[in-house]
Amino acid sequence: MAQKVLRWGADPSGGAPYVFTDPANPDRYIGYEKEMVDALAQAMGRRAEFVPSDWETLVSALQRDSFDVIVNGFEPTGDRAQQILFSKPYYIFQLQLTARRDDDRINSIDDCKNRIVGTLANTAASRLLEQQGIPLRSYADPVGAYRDLELKRIDAVVMDVPAEAFYARPNSKLRPAGPPFTRGLYVIGLRKDDLALKAEVDAAIDKIIFDGTLETILRKWGLWNDAQVEFQAPIRAGTQSTKIEEYTSTTTTFNWREALWRLTRAAAVTVLIALGSMVVAVVLGLPLAVGQWKGPPWVRAFCTLYVEFFRGTPVLVQLLFLYFGLPVIGIAMPGWLTALVGLGLNYAAYESQVYRASLEAIPNGQWEAAYSLGMSPVLAFRRIIMPQAFRIALPPMTNDFVSLFKDTSVAFAISVWELATAYRELANASGQFLLLGLAVSAFYLAMSLPMAHLARRLERRLSNRATERLEEAAA
Amino acid sequence: MIRVTDLRKRFGSSEILKGITFEMPPQTVLGVIGASGSGKSTLLRCLNGLETIDGGTIECNGVRLEAGLSHAEYRRRVKELRLKVGTVFQHFYLFPHLSVLGNLIEAPVHVLHSPKKKAETEALELLESVGMQQASRRYPGSLSGGEQQRVAIARALAMHPALLLLDEPTSALDPRRIHSLRTLLRTFVDRGHTMIIISHSMGFLGDVADNILFMEGGVAVEYGPTEEVLNSPKDPRTKDFLNQAE
Repeated sequence: MAQKVLRWGADPSGGAPYVFTDPANPDRYIGYEKEMVDALAQAMGRRAEFVPSDWETLVSALQRDSFDVIVNGFEPTGDRAQQILFSKPYYIFQLQLTARRDDDRINSIDDCKNRIVGTLANTAASRLLEQQGIPLRSYADPVGAYRDLELKRIDAVVMDVPAEAFYARPNSKLRPAGPPFTRGLYVIGLRKDDLALKAEVDAAIDKIIFDGTLETILRKWGLWNDAQVEFQAPIRAGTQSTKIEEYTSTTTTFNWREALWRLTRAAAVTVLIALGSMVVAVVLGLPLAVGQWKGPPWVRAFCTLYVEFFRGTPVLVQLLFLYFGLPVIGIAMPGWLTALVGLGLNYAAYESQVYRASLEAIPNGQWEAAYSLGMSPVLAFRRIIMPQAFRIALPPMTNDFVSLFKDTSVAFAISVWELATAYRELANASGQFLLLGLAVSAFYLAMSLPMAHLARRLERRLSNRATERLEEAAA
Repeated sequence: MIRVTDLRKRFGSSEILKGITFEMPPQTVLGVIGASGSGKSTLLRCLNGLETIDGGTIECNGVRLEAGLSHAEYRRRVKELRLKVGTVFQHFYLFPHLSVLGNLIEAPVHVLHSPKKKAETEALELLESVGMQQASRRYPGSLSGGEQQRVAIARALAMHPALLLLDEPTSALDPRRIHSLRTLLRTFVDRGHTMIIISHSMGFLGDVADNILFMEGGVAVEYGPTEEVLNSPKDPRTKDFLNQAE
């Protein structure tokens, strides 16, 4: 008989010390939870099989049957309880606030009232910050959060102690700000109807606590502490097994009013990024177009290189480069500005080609007529060529700008709280993919439709002018 | 006074103008004739500075353009020359995004820095003299070919050029329109303008031109009063051309 399998899902990227890629052997995953699941599977008579997944979408992946259990430092929260089932807890975690070593203003969570604090999306830490009204920035992994703290993009980071111990403590530029606080539970997540598996898992958890296997693993990873002693004592004495309710977890339930408010804020950021990058693209596109069209050879070569680079590489990669690469040479822009500049530089390449094609479409006779009236090249360009080219350029420009509005969504890759990020995080937290999706689409449409409408009206006004005048003259 | 001396122009290795020389008194019309490829259009484009000259000089009311000047100086003189010379292109090249009035005042306002009101008053007078005053607010796209030509003439004259160049002005006109164009051009000559006209229509030039220049292969073959050149040409090449033209 083939051995039964226990498929478990977790996010291994930046996942130390829970589960992560072995630096010594990139084909292998290691971590205390990896070892714990192996022990659990053994206790259950199964073979553990790891399914690398994405933290944000763990719950929906579980529901889609991508794996059988979530084991990823997972907390039993009220909104998750509506969607999935929890096992018994296996670990008591605490939170740790981290600040920069050279910044002595922050020593407790109360010092963070008007500062930006980074944390993982949809965790006990993020809920705690939300409840206290502290401005937070969500990250997909601890690495990004601590790096941005170092780069002064944020002022502090709150993280579960295991992650903090692994990622922040060895960094000499960072320091723990105050003692660990709050207590919460890690549990294993299961599908709602999987009661049989839950019974199996619960029994296995009791077993590895009872026989000291878990303690050995936690000690090995430096995660054994007083809280664990306190938590495991009654189980190992055989007097009692712990229930979830005995620990207060920072729980919030989904709130539509709150969600819409957050979507509105995200929409404002989206508009800011889109309009800002539009201005950059329109303004920068013109010198690029003229340079590539009439410039001396070296200018032409530079402009061509620019255009080919920005058109030939994905905008996502460009943003990641600006956000993570530029700080290496001392330029650390906040996320929204990075998105604005990145999309602006990218679309400038496209606009320059629209402009160039439009400028080249103007017959040479227009230049000659302007010259023969005594106009300088600059005056002829400004007064005669550009206004005509603008009319030709307008329809493709409109197209580009509607797609620019949508392209702002790539900013989620650098943790900017814009609409796509908001959708992902709110929907992952609540499971309301459908309704929130409709709401987000409505926001996008509300922004792009007026834009398209405005452009159509402008186009009509420009192209109808001649005929209108004709009718006027005939009347 | 307009004087062209030993004017030369090359495109690559082929010499298009091989030393053209002529002189024309003010308030006269010079008709330039010759087969296609004889260099007529190139001559015109040299006279308004659209082509750089490779040899000789062009003198027009005190501006002297000559080959061999420094780049900057050459450009400065081309700029001056263009203020003295107006051009009516064969295809007019009106500015389609500007109204008829806008076409006329664009250069006076932005090149000569005339006050807009003054430029408009002058432009309306010019439009009246070409019979287009009712069209001042229309756009070029809505005008017929003949109407566009009149606007193009008015646009060139709005800059008060000493010399007006017209490239094939009769090519798109029916006989009745050709007649009224003749009348119009003579009116402007009487008002003091000097013109050079390229045309294939000997009848038209016979009516409007005071002198004729016949070109062949980049050479000015014959130059003289209209009557003489058209009716009793001296050079056999002119004779041949005129015989074929009829």
